[in-house]
Amino acid sequence: MRTSRRRFLQVLGAGAAAAWTGLPGHEAMADVARATNETEFFVFLIALGGWDVTLWADPRNEVRGIIHPASTENTDTSQLKHWVDAPMADGAFKTFELVRPRGSSHAFGPGIGDMADMVDRITVVNGLEMNTVAHPDGQLFSTTGRHPQGGRVAASSIDTMISNEMGREQLLPTVSVRYPSSYVGENLDRRVVPLAIDDVGSISRTLSRSQAFDASPERDRVTAMLSEEARDLAQRSTYPDVLEGLALQYEGVRRMLGSNLQDVFSAGGLRKAHPELDYKRRFTGGPAVNAAFAVEAMKRNVVRCVSFAVGGFDTHGNNYRGQAQLQQETFGLVTELVKSLDATPHPTLRGTRLSDHTHILVVSDFCRTPQINFGMGRDHYPNNSALVVSPRFRQGLVFGKTDPDQLLPQPVRRFTDGERAIAPPDLLATFLAAFAIDPRKYMRDGEVVRELLRA
Amino acid sequence: MKRLPLMLALLAGCAGPAEHVYPGPKAPLPEHGVIAEDTAPKENLRMVAPEVYMRTYLQLFGGLAPLEVQKRARGADGGALFDTWDDYVSALGFPDYRFDVPRQTQTNALMAATFERLGVALCDRALEHDLKAPKGAEPRPLKERLVFAFDLPRGAVDAGAFAPRFDVLHRTFLGYPASLAPPARTARFFQLFRDIVAGHAKVDPKSRFSPDEAGWAAVCYGLVRHPEFHLY
Amino acid sequence: MLFVAILAAPLALDAPSADSAPPPPALRTLDDYRHFRITAIDLLGRMPTRDELAAFERSDFDMDRWVDAQLGGPAYVERLTRIYMDALRLEPNVDFRTAPAELYRHDVLGPDGKLVPVYYRESQRRERPETDGEFCLSPDETGVVIRARQQDVGTPKKVSQKLLDAHTVLVKPWWLYRDFRTANPSQRYGEGWKDPDPQYKPVESLLTDAEGKPVTAIRICREEASVRDSGHVYASGRVKAAPKDAKRPGGRLRPVPLDRPYATQHQGQDIACDSKMALDYAPDCGCGVGLERCVPGDSNQGGNAFYYPNHMPLGPGMPLDDARQQVQRWFPYWWSREAVRFLDDLFASDRDFREILTGKQTFVNGPLAQFYRTVQRSNCCGPEATFGMLEEKEPLFDPKSVPADLEPQDVSTWKLVPNRGPHAAGILTMPMFLEKYASARARGAAVYNDFLCKSFIAESQQLTPSAEPNLMVRPGCKTCHATLEPLAAYFARVEPASFVFLPQGDFPVHSTTCKLDKNGRLNGACTALYDPAFADAKGATLRSAYGSPAHADETPVGAAQDLTRAPEFAGCAVQRVTSSLLGRPTTPDDDALMASLTDTFVRSGFRMKALVRAVVRSDEYRRSNNLSSTTWRGGAR
Repeated sequence: MRTSRRRFLQVLGAGAAAAWTGLPGHEAMADVARATNETEFFVFLIALGGWDVTLWADPRNEVRGIIHPASTENTDTSQLKHWVDAPMADGAFKTFELVRPRGSSHAFGPGIGDMADMVDRITVVNGLEMNTVAHPDGQLFSTTGRHPQGGRVAASSIDTMISNEMGREQLLPTVSVRYPSSYVGENLDRRVVPLAIDDVGSISRTLSRSQAFDASPERDRVTAMLSEEARDLAQRSTYPDVLEGLALQYEGVRRMLGSNLQDVFSAGGLRKAHPELDYKRRFTGGPAVNAAFAVEAMKRNVVRCVSFAVGGFDTHGNNYRGQAQLQQETFGLVTELVKSLDATPHPTLRGTRLSDHTHILVVSDFCRTPQINFGMGRDHYPNNSALVVSPRFRQGLVFGKTDPDQLLPQPVRRFTDGERAIAPPDLLATFLAAFAIDPRKYMRDGEVVRELLRA
Repeated sequence: MKRLPLMLALLAGCAGPAEHVYPGPKAPLPEHGVIAEDTAPKENLRMVAPEVYMRTYLQLFGGLAPLEVQKRARGADGGALFDTWDDYVSALGFPDYRFDVPRQTQTNALMAATFERLGVALCDRALEHDLKAPKGAEPRPLKERLVFAFDLPRGAVDAGAFAPRFDVLHRTFLGYPASLAPPARTARFFQLFRDIVAGHAKVDPKSRFSPDEAGWAAVCYGLVRHPEFHLY
Repeated sequence: MLFVAILAAPLALDAPSADSAPPPPALRTLDDYRHFRITAIDLLGRMPTRDELAAFERSDFDMDRWVDAQLGGPAYVERLTRIYMDALRLEPNVDFRTAPAELYRHDVLGPDGKLVPVYYRESQRRERPETDGEFCLSPDETGVVIRARQQDVGTPKKVSQKLLDAHTVLVKPWWLYRDFRTANPSQRYGEGWKDPDPQYKPVESLLTDAEGKPVTAIRICREEASVRDSGHVYASGRVKAAPKDAKRPGGRLRPVPLDRPYATQHQGQDIACDSKMALDYAPDCGCGVGLERCVPGDSNQGGNAFYYPNHMPLGPGMPLDDARQQVQRWFPYWWSREAVRFLDDLFASDRDFREILTGKQTFVNGPLAQFYRTVQRSNCCGPEATFGMLEEKEPLFDPKSVPADLEPQDVSTWKLVPNRGPHAAGILTMPMFLEKYASARARGAAVYNDFLCKSFIAESQQLTPSAEPNLMVRPGCKTCHATLEPLAAYFARVEPASFVFLPQGDFPVHSTTCKLDKNGRLNGACTALYDPAFADAKGATLRSAYGSPAHADETPVGAAQDLTRAPEFAGCAVQRVTSSLLGRPTTPDDDALMASLTDTFVRSGFRMKALVRAVVRSDEYRRSNNLSSTTWRGGAR
């Protein structure tokens, strides 16, 4: 669907009528904006283990307070493109010069890698208040906006929320590759239960079918009957939604098999189709296939959200030496993904690039301690940063702050509960609001931070 | 039930002050019947754990080990019915403790597609094993049959011939007699059977199955992929 | 309510049935069938077969007896183990690299121009300055700088046979020979070694050479081949660094190692060859008889060693694949199997469930015997040596408890070890738990969640910069840490990301030897083990112990005792099992059921069979989903 001038004016008019404030509850605007959301795509990435923000978003290169910066004592620098030695207070080892991308007033650490070349397209959020340093809790808080309750996931993850709004009709609403995707709560359509897998290549094998014994129409006939059976059982049940959901999922099987996706989504086929992505990197060579899948599936308009993980950030010990390179590769992968989306036409909006309608959110469990521990690594710390690459966000912005001595989140604005630091629920609520989705439909907490969004 | 007296009392209260208070029956009211109230807290149907699915699958394949099933399902006939278990393990919902990936507890469309892939492999290989005796060989004894533990009727299959055979399959996959299922089920599967038999030669002229065999295979697909097979 | 009168599943319809006389009819409702099915799913681990259904339909079928017959069966055991594996996730995503045990392999160019694979250890001490701490042939001799896990630098040149013989030897190692302990091993894998364990599968590259011929002996650096049990502290006399521009002997890239103070002070003293210090100080220590103290990798990156499955959700007897695996995952794989074996036995033998934390027992197979006998010892000691612990004194698993008759290749033979040693505490002291939950806090949090069913709920309080190191009092932290730190303290004596036990005698909770100097720093090796944040000029506190010095001295054994005595322990176990069997979280509506089940569980002596029996007989279990027959035939609501 192409957004026409008429459509644009409709949106504008509806928005004016609703006196849009950026907060939920403005139905007229929301309805129109939601209609335009059918053209949007999403990539959610999590850096599993907790990343060191002082190496990229919130760089620290001097010994101050409890902060001990990365240095040649604890970091392998030979593979780092943007590491330039800088003197350190105690003199024995070198720390890094801040990376100051041309045309930007912001500084980054060397972990930013190739993303330094596109800082005018990114939004960085620093000083995210985590209130946890436990991995499962941090991952869930970053992706759902809720801490787990009694060990159970308390809310849906952001990919599920988005798919529930925009992906119900999509063939593959959310493909989740080792991402902490969850499907929890009310008002959810069973079609958007995340398609959780550990390898995108397995999709193609799951969808391949023999023609030696029976034919596709025969299997489809069975599938159609099973939908009827599920609906019939649902009518007899006190709680019908699981069965109704299965009925919808049977329909999904028919559509998937009718789309001949199996030929497209083999790991080998994806690598071949997207040679612009680097599959030989030490840490992100594997996840690069997921990025290739995202581009290919979006190009064919069969997916709404692709969520995946890059692991290895939990560097308590000597493995911290590779943290900066891991970051460089991760942001390098995101950069390559954006470039690939730049070069790919949108499947339904003629004349526009896929990157103009793709929204990328990169989070982590939490960050790592400002101190270097005795094992020459860093432990868990209740602060965090996040990265957004989205045309709906203010680009080239670094939002949020931490204190100079202890890297703790600092109050950044007034929320309804007073001056405080931004927290993951706020970021997720803002992400939903960018698409005119009422955050309260899915989230207990969080406020929309209008400063992060484009006017 | 327990709330009924309270509601009546409240309604009475709303109706205005009682002028007379009825003293109540002189003798206990006779009991006209007891309705058993199911007070157990309930939840939605839950998904059969992937471990249970796989054990059942292996059992239906003759009680073989997974790698042996993989070998048999793949076959040497170029049937392309099966890849490897590794290809299906995450889509089936198994947890991966190494990466702290929790088990899936809800079905999704890709999982449903995997159930189809695996179910078709089971039914096709079971039909070959149970019903397609090599030329000149005796039919496999009933006791040795894995899934299709009945003889095919002679001639066209009518509703009367279909029902008891369907019951065997229904018990095999869903664990209870078809007579206890919703009334339309047997008829619905019979219609499926008839549709497949009628169209098989046309839609799949190169099939290794005869129309009747394809019909029974389709019934098998319908049961091994049935909501009641995967949810409990 | 509907009933059906059932005959025992006549399968042959047109053909006469092969069955004998029909069994007596029985009345079974749909709810009966459903109850039987869900019970089979939980206790048999699969849906019932037709034969089982036929038995159920007989009038003489006794459901209670049937349930009792399934309790203790392998599927029941797997079902319960699954509940705790889902919670604990005791599978490794960890590499276990202990330099003294890991053999790398590098090809050098032989005298005839063919590649000759040579095994070596990273950082092996050698008396030749050209190769001390490096590969045993110098860059001048091979043409290349060879370093583990790194690219070669240089162009290979032929190495003479004389040089090869001078610095390398041929050995018949344990992974090739069943009788590797004999003077002249002859029982080679696949040739002379009768009936090798079918699950013991070295990768092809360990068994055959580049030309596909069977490897009958491997070439290894001479020092690594040493079979001594004890060696000697070596001091080279080099104490002063050479000038930066001085030519390095043998063309080596890194400077020649200097003598550390310990070497100078203890030159010539005995040192145990299976300790970590041996690699640092003793050129006469190697991998032992048949290289038993080491494990091989097939490349200079570490490489592959053995085949084993990636996936086996139904247990080790039912693998879904068989994959070539990296050497550094070999022992973590077996740690996981040990934990599962321990849990399986707990449920199969219907032991007191408290033993999950208190049990001294475990099971080991060949690789684990090798690990506990020798390899774990090479994890120690580094900074501990400064405190007088040169080799581990009180290991969590006493090597003397390892069955003597298990060889490293016996992967399928599991033997009970009734008592691992005085510090053993159920799963809490198993390597898998200690590596999965690498820090004391992670360990404390895991037991709090998994065995008390409690979780830390973070408060949304702004953390402000503070100099307060005590998280139990610091605002914003104390909500969780007031509980967590004392739990973490139980694990203060088990080193993080390791399983080296720090005995009380050498490492008091409060050390007066370790203290802050005038610059506010802890002296020497103290920083490794004592916490500068809890130190002053008079002494320092053992790391992770400040939350409760008493708990630190009680060790994980004390944690096990205290946790199992906690009133929440039994209720948590009941909640986990009941919730899993009902397929839903328990709610306050279940309070009466939970109270009754907990009473049953405790009265039975914390036996899971009693608990599971009570759950599956309960009305709540029988009606645990919404497909009740009361609405079944009614059609649409």
